[in-house]
Amino acid sequence: MKGKCYIQGMAAISPQPTFEGDIFSAPLVHTDSNLLACIEPDYKPFVPGNSLRRMTRVLKMGLTTALKCLQESGVATPGPIITGTGKGSLQDTERFIKEIEDYKETALNPTPFIQSTYNSVNGLIALQQKCTAYNNTFVHRGFSFENALLDSMMLIQEGEPHTLTGAFEEITAEHFYIKSRIGYWKSESTDSRELYKHLSPGTIAGEGAVFFTLAGTPTQQSYAAISGFKMLYKPVPGKLTATLKNFTTHADLIVTGRNGDSNFEHYYQELDNCFPDTPQLPFKHLCGEYDTAGAFGLWLSAHILKAQQVPQQWFSMFNQLPEHINSILFYNHFYGEQHVMILLERV
Amino acid sequence: MAERVFITGIGMVTAIGDDVAGNLQNLRLQRSGLGYSSYIDTIYKNVLPVAEVKRSSESLFEMAGIPVREGFTRTTLLGLVAMREALLHAGITDVQSAPTGFINASTVGGMCDTEKLYFDIINPEKTGLFLQYIDTLDCADCTQRIADAVGFSEHIATISTACSSSANALMFGARMIKQGMLPRMVCGGTEALTRFTLNGFNSLKNVDKQFCRPFDQQRTGLNLGEGAAYLVLEGESFVKANNSRILAELTGYCNTNEAFHPTSPSPEGDGAYEAMKAALAMSGRTLEEVTYINVHGTATLNNDVSEGKALERLFGGKVPLFSSTKPFTGHTLAAAGAIEAIFSVLAIQNGLIFPNLNFSEKMEELNITPVTELIEGYPVNNVISNSFGFGGNNASLVISKYEG
Repeated sequence: MKGKCYIQGMAAISPQPTFEGDIFSAPLVHTDSNLLACIEPDYKPFVPGNSLRRMTRVLKMGLTTALKCLQESGVATPGPIITGTGKGSLQDTERFIKEIEDYKETALNPTPFIQSTYNSVNGLIALQQKCTAYNNTFVHRGFSFENALLDSMMLIQEGEPHTLTGAFEEITAEHFYIKSRIGYWKSESTDSRELYKHLSPGTIAGEGAVFFTLAGTPTQQSYAAISGFKMLYKPVPGKLTATLKNFTTHADLIVTGRNGDSNFEHYYQELDNCFPDTPQLPFKHLCGEYDTAGAFGLWLSAHILKAQQVPQQWFSMFNQLPEHINSILFYNHFYGEQHVMILLERV
Repeated sequence: MAERVFITGIGMVTAIGDDVAGNLQNLRLQRSGLGYSSYIDTIYKNVLPVAEVKRSSESLFEMAGIPVREGFTRTTLLGLVAMREALLHAGITDVQSAPTGFINASTVGGMCDTEKLYFDIINPEKTGLFLQYIDTLDCADCTQRIADAVGFSEHIATISTACSSSANALMFGARMIKQGMLPRMVCGGTEALTRFTLNGFNSLKNVDKQFCRPFDQQRTGLNLGEGAAYLVLEGESFVKANNSRILAELTGYCNTNEAFHPTSPSPEGDGAYEAMKAALAMSGRTLEEVTYINVHGTATLNNDVSEGKALERLFGGKVPLFSSTKPFTGHTLAAAGAIEAIFSVLAIQNGLIFPNLNFSEKMEELNITPVTELIEGYPVNNVISNSFGFGGNNASLVISKYEG
C-alpha cells in the first residue's frame, strides 16, 4: 500500500482495562483458563437503554467502542465506516441455530438472525450516528481488520478526509469448545503471563473490539503514522523472510503476535532471524488469540509511539527497550495462514 | 487519471443454468428456476419455493473438477464451478501468469453444511470426519478453498454486507485496480441455500409462498435462491498489454448506507436514490443514457416501494426500462450482485432486456411498471445494477458497453 495515513483517535474494549483510564499505569489482567474475556464497560452512557436491551454482547462492544473512538477523536459524524470481524455475533448465530431446532422452525424471533449478519454492527453505528457515507464489512479471519484498514487507506487516497475503522470479535463458551476440538487452544491450563514460555500446540483464546479514526493529514493529536502495510497469504517457504526483509530494513521496536503455539512458532523465528538486534514486545498475553487481534496490536503500537513508553505492568518481564521509539514494525499471523506486517512511525 | 476497469471474463452457476450460456438460454426462454428444494432439511421443503441449483453436491464436485472430500461445502463448490468458468472465459489458464487478486462475498459461509452437523460438533460424545467441517463455519473458508484450488496467492478478501456483498466485492476490486495495486482482480460471491437463512427471512415474514412477484401490487415477499458468480476485472493498461477481450466496462459504482433501520429501507428510497445517483455521476453518463436497470426488486413489500420511489425521484417521468431477475434466480443474497452484474453484461452483449416474470398489477404507490416480455435486438449501452441489504448497505453499479 502506497501513501500514509494517520491514527487520530482510538478506543478499545479488551481483556485489559483499556476502555477508560491510563493504560500506562493499568494492572495486568491474567488468567489460567486459556480464555481471556473482555472487561465490559458500562454501555449506558453510549447507547440508549431500550436499544441496549435488544443487543447482544459483541454488538454492544463494537458499537460502544466505535462511539468512544469518535468521541475521543472529536469527530461528530463519521465519514466512511469500515470494519472487520472473523466471526461476527457468535452468540446470535448459536442462538438462531438452536431456536430453529428447538422450535421446529416455527414462531421464530428474527432478532438473532438479524444480529448474526456480519454487517449489523456497521449498520448500527451508521444508524446511531446518522452516517450515510461508504460502509463496508470484511469477514476474512486474520485478514478481516486488515482488509478494513486497506479499504480505509484507499478511501483516504481517494480523498476522504477521515474514516472510522475497526474490528470486533467475541468468544463464547460453545465456540471455545468447538475450536478446542481442532487444536486451536493449549490442552494444558496455561497462565497467560507465562504464555511465551509454554511452547506447545495451540494458544489461548481472546476477544476484543478496537476502533480507530484514520486521516490523511497529521495533527497535534495524531498517535502514529501508518507508513507501510503488507498482507501475505499462506507464504511458501522463504517467502515470509524475503517479504519481511523487503518490507523494512529498520525499526526501533517490533510488536509481534507471538502466542506460544508451537505449530506456527517458526514464522516468528523467521522474524527473529530477520531482525536479530531489534527488541520485541509480544501482545497476545494481553488479548489472547482471535481473528482480529491485529487491531489490538496496532492500538498498542500506536499508544507506545505517542507516549514513548510501554505500559509497565503489562511488560514487566521485558526490560531492554530503546530510549526513543520512532518506528515500530508490527507483525502478526493467524494460524499460519494470514500474515500481516505494518510499519508505524512517530508523528 | 485512474485506470478504466474492464470486465474480461464471466462465470456463473444458478438455478437457471450451470454456466453463463445456460443462464442466457433460460433468460431468453423466460424459464424460471423457482421450485421446491431437494437438498435443504426443512419443514418448508414443499411450502416455500426456492431457486435451487439442480445439482447434488456430488455432482458439483465433478463440475468443480475436484475429488469428493470432507470440508468442501456447497458454498465452496458452487463458487469453484463459477470461478473455473470465469477464468476459462477470460483465457486465464494460470492465475499466476499475472498478479491477480480475489475478492469474494458470502453471507453465511458454509452454514449449508455446518447446520447439518452443528449438534454433533458441540456434542463431546460425537467424533469423526465431520470435525473437518468446523472451520467451514466462517465466511473465509469458501474463499480460501477456492483460492487454493485455482492458485490465487496475491490479495484475497471476503466481504459480507448482506445482500449487497458481491456488488461491494466488485467495487473493492475495481478500486484496487484504479489505485494501481493489482492489474487483475476476480470478484463476485457465492451463496448456498440454508435452513438458517430460509428461517431467518421467514421469521421476518419476508418470504412468499408463491413464486415471487417483484413490483406487483399483490407481492408478499421474496424467494431465496443459491448460486455463485465471478467477474474478471482488468485495468486498461493490462488489457492492452495482454490483448484481453473486453466484454463491458465497469464505469460507475457507489456504496452508501441509508442509516434508516436495521432491516427496512426508507419509504422514499433515500439510500437507493443516492447509490444510483452517485454511481451514475461517476460513470459520466446522463440519466437519458441509461438503457436498462436491473433492479434489486426482491418483491418484499418494503424494497419495491422504496426502490420504485427512488427510480421515480431520480428519473422523473422518464424511468428507463427496468426489471427484476429474481423470479429467475431467486434472491441469492451474497451472490446476487455478481449474478446480476453478469446479466447486465449479457444484456449489453446480446441486446436483450430481460422480463420481470410474474408481474400482473401495477403497485398503487408507483406510476411505473417493469418490463414483462423479453425484448430482443435492443441496443443496450448503460445498465444500472442495484443491490440493497440489511444494515442499510446499498450498492449500485453502472456497467457500460465498451466503445473504445
